[in-house]
Amino acid sequence: MNTTVKILIVSLVVIGSVTYLILSGVKQTGMQYMTVTELAQMDRAPKAGGFRLDGIVAAGTIRYDQKAPRLQFRMTDGKEAVNVVYDGLMPDAFADGRDVVVEGTFQHTDRTLHATKLVTKCPSKYEAQGLGEDKS
Amino acid sequence: MSEIGRLAILMAFLCAVWSVGSIAWGLRAGLAGPLRSGRNALWAVCGLTLVAVIILVRALMAHDFTYRYVAEHTSLDLAPLYSAASLWAGQEGSLLLWLLILSTYGAAFLWLYRKRLDPFYDAVAMVVASVAIFFTYLLAFICSPFRILANPPADGQGLNPLLQDPGMMIHPPILYTGYVGFIIPFAFGIAVLLMNRTGTRWIEEVRRWTLFSWMFLGFGILLGARWAYIELGWGGYWGWDPVENASLMPWLVGTAFLHSVMIEQRRGMLKTWNVALIVLTFELSIFGTFLTRSGVLTSVHSFAESSIGAWFMAFIIGSGTLATALILYRKALLESENRLDAIVSREGSFLFNNVLFVALTFATFLGTTFPVLSEAVTGSKISVSAPFFNRVNVPIGLALLLLTGAGPILSWKRATASVLQRNFIIPTVAGLVATLLSLPLGVRGIYPIVTVFGSAFVLATVVMEFARGLQARKDVAASRGAMAIIDLVTKNKRRYGGYIIHVGVVMIFVGVLGSTVFQKEAHEPLRTGQSMKIGDYTLTLKGTEQKMERSAALTRAVVDVSQNGKSFGESRPSKAMYFKSQQPMTEVALHQTPGEDLYLILGGVNDDGTVTLQAYINPLVSLIWAGGLVMLFGTIFTLSDRMRLRREEKEAA
Repeated sequence: MNTTVKILIVSLVVIGSVTYLILSGVKQTGMQYMTVTELAQMDRAPKAGGFRLDGIVAAGTIRYDQKAPRLQFRMTDGKEAVNVVYDGLMPDAFADGRDVVVEGTFQHTDRTLHATKLVTKCPSKYEAQGLGEDKS
Repeated sequence: MSEIGRLAILMAFLCAVWSVGSIAWGLRAGLAGPLRSGRNALWAVCGLTLVAVIILVRALMAHDFTYRYVAEHTSLDLAPLYSAASLWAGQEGSLLLWLLILSTYGAAFLWLYRKRLDPFYDAVAMVVASVAIFFTYLLAFICSPFRILANPPADGQGLNPLLQDPGMMIHPPILYTGYVGFIIPFAFGIAVLLMNRTGTRWIEEVRRWTLFSWMFLGFGILLGARWAYIELGWGGYWGWDPVENASLMPWLVGTAFLHSVMIEQRRGMLKTWNVALIVLTFELSIFGTFLTRSGVLTSVHSFAESSIGAWFMAFIIGSGTLATALILYRKALLESENRLDAIVSREGSFLFNNVLFVALTFATFLGTTFPVLSEAVTGSKISVSAPFFNRVNVPIGLALLLLTGAGPILSWKRATASVLQRNFIIPTVAGLVATLLSLPLGVRGIYPIVTVFGSAFVLATVVMEFARGLQARKDVAASRGAMAIIDLVTKNKRRYGGYIIHVGVVMIFVGVLGSTVFQKEAHEPLRTGQSMKIGDYTLTLKGTEQKMERSAALTRAVVDVSQNGKSFGESRPSKAMYFKSQQPMTEVALHQTPGEDLYLILGGVNDDGTVTLQAYINPLVSLIWAGGLVMLFGTIFTLSDRMRLRREEKEAA
């Protein structure tokens, strides 16, 4: 067998395994983006592997047991709302009205999202807001 | 003052345009005058950018809130150094810093090559200037840092507390020095294609420029990891965040290039591939800036969302297409001089090293952009996060670790069975012994075991290579002991510098293994006087205290830390409440030892007076930082080698 063929074979094996890793990785760990409305209107629990939800922390709904630690709140997109439970410390930037992203599973029995990951998007305070117009 | 800043940027734009036009004309007509004029214009871009930076930094430090940028990113209670560092806190300032570093690279290039009157180098300068056109255009017409407010506020909005950290002051400029530095290899590559340049000197030059940027990028990535570890307070240092990935990708492709370029120098092979890697590294650097600054993906870094994303996309697609077209047009120039003789050879191992590095980059790229891609293809947005990257990238990374060991002990062209036997027995035995020794320590599972085996294998090959070099030299020179080693490595800096870098890589692998597999976590609410245990540490709460600082109020828990009954002092994990943002910030208390880090977080003071503490034990994290320093040292050592450059010179003459 000449070297070119060998290189081709080994390269194909490498590319094939990487492709397999990527495809199976997406299949097993991929999380679908959902909106709160989509989730609230579902009749059945969505994909068991979990999904990713973007929304806002509904004002006045934060209950935080620091000793556990366990964080509970309602997440809304302005139309619908769902309950979220997260076992972990409250992130620094977490507060009423903040944009948050949660990943986790949804149990239809208690209609609660059990979050395994909670990310608070940086507050928009650091963006151009309320400074008014430029001088022309 | 802001008018001067605006004017400086506008003139920098015009100078960049002039530089490109003038050099193009000079190259075409073969005239020295336009070439000189074009070079001078590139110097002017650098000077004018510096003027703009000085004006903006002055405004930041003087808290001149008539500037929109100053009002957005600073406040009166901000310390002067952080005010100055706010230059790169937002999008406009970051772009200005980009341009400053870009034009400084251009100026440094012109200075270093001032005695070479070869139009090829003017073509390189022209490519640098054409990239400067893009950035000066953005800064002059799309997002100016010199916007003035009609009604300036009395105080600014303040700097994001996350960014108020010494790491924040140096991480971005160092990272940018790495990112932007790939402009010079890119410019060389394009200039070679444009000028139909033959010869090999430029390859060594490109290698050195790439190594320089690669060093800064790698160091910047590690500083970012360290910043995340200390500042973000989640016990880890790497989360496969889009922005981390963005900086990793050009580093990976750059690493691939640094390896495959050796094949080109030695055997005249892989020329097209190498130019393609240079171009890809540069495009990924731009893509990284785009990801950081466009907010197209959710990330802790994307505090600015704006419309410059489309411009960056256009630039990447445009320059990428042009470069590809040039490569195809100059196919003959990039013809390979040799063929691969055998797979089991140094060349073969480098080839697979390249395939794997590119695969790693591809998987990272795919994972990072997956939400956008899946939405475009299937209509539903699917995202992947850390588990995906760990699943895909860890095995590829381990394959690379094994190649790190195998590559250097395979001979060029063709490794015979006897060479294989001679070179592989000792490292394999070392790997197996290390694996056996690690089993009682609790190393389980295929990946940890491969990491231990591979690390020991690589270290054994490095020791063997040093020993072999010493043996060979012993016959020649009579120097002994430490002197002999110094003598050996300084005679072939590139080779031994490379081995030193490999040792650093192994240290990082082992550190990552230790801190992921053996991490311990514990949390508990404590009353004053109560204690909790984690590992062999006992943490006793002695009380809480309040402290006022310049821009924040601190709540601190005073914790007595003892290990196996032996106290080693107090630890003060805290929460800072920043006045400006009314946002709490966790401040980690870290006890670092070579073996393991004790990482303490204050959860908060509870209503019933108890204090919630969260503690992690992160074994071997110090090895990651130390490995980074070893890599840095190895790279500087390699860069100090000018022998090859001189040899190329001689051959050219």
